[in-house]
Amino acid sequence: MKQQDNALETKALNLYYGSAQALIDVDIQIPKNQVTALIGPSGCGKSTLLRCFNRMNDLIPDCTISGSILYHGEEITGRSTDVVELRKRIGMVFQQPNPFPKSIYENVIYGPKVHGVRDRKQLDEIAEKSLKGAAIWEEVRERLHDAARGLSGGQQQRLCIARTLSVGPDIILMDEPCSALDPIATAKIENLITELKDEYTVVIVTHNMQQAARVSDYTGFMYMGRLIEFDSTPVIFEKPKEELTENYITGRFG
Amino acid sequence: MHRMNDHSSSLSSPAGISRQKKESVITGIWLATALVAVITIILILGFLLKEGLPALLEIGLREFLFEEIWTPTSVEPSYGILSLIIGTILVTLGAMVIAVPLGIGSAIFIAEIAPRSVREAIKPAIELLAGIPSVVYGFFGLVVLTNWLRITFDLSSGATWLAGSIILGIMALPTIISVSEDAITSVPQEYRAASLALGATRWQTIIGVIIPAALSGITAAVILGMGRAIGETMAVLMVTGNAAIIPDPLWNILSPVRTLTATLGIEMGEVAIGSTHYHALFAIALVLLLIALIINLSATVILGRIRNAQMGTGKTPFLSHEVKGKVKTVCLWLACILLIGVLTVISGLSGALLLIGAIGAYLLIQRIITPKITEKIAFGMITAATGLVLFTLFVILFDIVSNGLSAITWEFLTEGPRDLGRSGGIFPAIVGTIYLVVGAIAIALPIGVGAAIYLNEYTIEGKMTKIIRTGNDLLNGTPSIVFGLFGFAFLVIFVGLGVSLLAGQITLALMVLPTIIRTSEEALKSVPDSLRHGSLALGATRWHTISRVVLPAAAPGILTGTILSIGRAAGETAPLLFTAVVFSKRFLPDSVFEPVMALPYHLFILATNVPGADTQKYGTALVLLILVTGIYAVAVLMRKHAQNTVRW
Ligand SMILES: Nc1ncnc2c1ncn2[C@@H]1O[C@H](COP(=O)(O)OP(=O)(O)O)[C@@H](O)[C@H]1O
Ligand SMILES: [Mg+2]
Repeated sequence: MKQQDNALETKALNLYYGSAQALIDVDIQIPKNQVTALIGPSGCGKSTLLRCFNRMNDLIPDCTISGSILYHGEEITGRSTDVVELRKRIGMVFQQPNPFPKSIYENVIYGPKVHGVRDRKQLDEIAEKSLKGAAIWEEVRERLHDAARGLSGGQQQRLCIARTLSVGPDIILMDEPCSALDPIATAKIENLITELKDEYTVVIVTHNMQQAARVSDYTGFMYMGRLIEFDSTPVIFEKPKEELTENYITGRFG
Repeated sequence: MHRMNDHSSSLSSPAGISRQKKESVITGIWLATALVAVITIILILGFLLKEGLPALLEIGLREFLFEEIWTPTSVEPSYGILSLIIGTILVTLGAMVIAVPLGIGSAIFIAEIAPRSVREAIKPAIELLAGIPSVVYGFFGLVVLTNWLRITFDLSSGATWLAGSIILGIMALPTIISVSEDAITSVPQEYRAASLALGATRWQTIIGVIIPAALSGITAAVILGMGRAIGETMAVLMVTGNAAIIPDPLWNILSPVRTLTATLGIEMGEVAIGSTHYHALFAIALVLLLIALIINLSATVILGRIRNAQMGTGKTPFLSHEVKGKVKTVCLWLACILLIGVLTVISGLSGALLLIGAIGAYLLIQRIITPKITEKIAFGMITAATGLVLFTLFVILFDIVSNGLSAITWEFLTEGPRDLGRSGGIFPAIVGTIYLVVGAIAIALPIGVGAAIYLNEYTIEGKMTKIIRTGNDLLNGTPSIVFGLFGFAFLVIFVGLGVSLLAGQITLALMVLPTIIRTSEEALKSVPDSLRHGSLALGATRWHTISRVVLPAAAPGILTGTILSIGRAAGETAPLLFTAVVFSKRFLPDSVFEPVMALPYHLFILATNVPGADTQKYGTALVLLILVTGIYAVAVLMRKHAQNTVRW
């Protein structure tokens, strides 16, 4: 893989919560315009790694890191990095759907407004485009001004994806986006993820191995803070090189 | 244990039946305690009506409410309370103009900006602010604030609407801060994460997501603060000048005013029982009670609705999207104009121009300046607001401690007053206060805990609990001066206790009852059900389970509530004015049927009626302050301790 094809890359990344180390020497390369899945047993550091990419770990007191993280080749761990701009380009979808207690419309235009868009027409356009991009436009176009919290769980999660799209990111991080959803809503989100990769780079954390196999092009297997193995998804699931990976895939632990 | 293998006794043995009887007797007792609050509020309403109606009939409701002149003691008396109602509204509004921005700003600071260690230090300080007795606020307002206003604005007297609003604003701050802070803190963390992940700054997150999500809680906070301000008697009475006039022009904040509560506080003690004036005062109390209850009930309803509707529904909103936008804009403009108007009055045209300039500059800057810089400015202002609140607390404490220390001598603490309190000590007042408080708690604690046990352990939510809870809320919202009038009409006159220690103890007990019920109920609720089930499953009766398992586990919480009530009772003046206290009494009471001295009342009289007792005033204020805040500090420490120790 050539350098410029990577949307994100870490080198010798170590992360500590206080004195407890949560990531150990992680080297990972996330290819552009692909779906990359991170799998591994609970507590192995998947969410922690994901939060490094948009610096959400900044919010956790006494969380420190060493090593480097590159976004399109640019270092983003330093003090000089504009975190606001970074988070605009690297969006995040959370495990629990978390729309704001506002209307559907206000949810999707929140991001653009925060970034200074004031023109009504422009906001309307962004809202429509984002909702279409998240495959929820048809379901909500008639009730844009209803409370977002009145939507079903699956719809709420797609609204959250639309909200993420609204600020025009090029990478979308998803932390177990389907774990709170039923199978039908899950299927819709999975379809959406495969559509998104034309325009976006997607990194998805999941503990559901079938899901990783279905939606991703690349898969990284993590275990106790380390990235054990990273390869194209078929390789990981059919011919893993590491015994640990194989044990996990075949369900022999965790 | 010895019966463990004894399977011979049948399941419906006589022992079982008598046990059931005992249980139902116990249930009856708890129900009775739970009804005390309801009965009290009904009695209060009843007595105010009974004593107030004759005045309304004689004067006429319209003349009473809408006539401006209040001269009950002149040769041709006039009983119009319009100027009193307007005085009450103006002082309260002024207090809110001061307390709302400072209170919400401080709440945001505490909940969102302050580092953990700073937050841990500020919260007790705010609680201390809440613990200062109202007569001490009034005293500080009288000797320091009004003096300062008089010199600054070159007035003949500094006792003005503005002085009242400042003092009431300070007094409303703790309520507004703590309830708003609760509302902000309870906004789910996930909203913050979502907003920040979109690239919003912390300030944008606060303004765009957190405040809107906490808005109903903040509204309730403001309403509760307003309720506190409207019901306050002693502090306003001491600093507003008490002229029953409508300020001319209406926005003249340097005019003296008189509130409904102050009128009761001043005139009730001197009125001839049974006269029109006497009945008119009860009619005023009725008006006051209704206003206070409406305010407090609306806050309760809002808070209840938040609890139920934490998760929004799919219902279409009450106002359509477009209308809402317009309403918002209009309100914003109105608020701006109002603020500019107020500023014009305070500081002349230059102030208003300055404000207009500032708003203009802000709007302009907002377009140019980055969100990061806006955040810095906003955080700076919020930190300054919190700083101002803490500074105020410091000034009050410093003034009283530095001036009061020199008065504290062995003689001062152990002797009776001489020469109208200008020399001698305050020993009878200290003892009187202790008698009053001990008696009040001895009455209120068993009733309050019983009511809480009934509500939480012996019944399921239904009509009955709803009535009891409403009664409790109403009692909680009743202004303390109304308790004073009720105590006088019911206990002193009707029951015939006379002005006595016992009448004061009962009045105070009724006043702190709602607090004890509520905190006890919370303490019982926090005891996990598994404990109860564990005990019941062993065959213990309900009462056995409660007395041996639940109550011990809930004891720290109940104790905290009790201590808070002690602090409140020790600092109260208004309920005692006409029920229990006298100013000068060389000896301690021999029985509960004699009147007593009390610290808050002693301070009140020294400050308002005895010239040349400066050292004694400050000394009394300091003793009272130490007593009450000391009690509060114990409560705060105990709660902290209970939070830190894992009990199960
Ligand atoms: N905010 C935090 N503070 C301290 N430790 C944390 C925090 N978040 C996660 N951890 C710890 O870091 C490790 C990795 O957690 P996480 O990244 O959430 O794992 P995963 O998402 O794979 O389940 C766990 O041991 C967890 O306890
Ligand atoms: Mg996780």
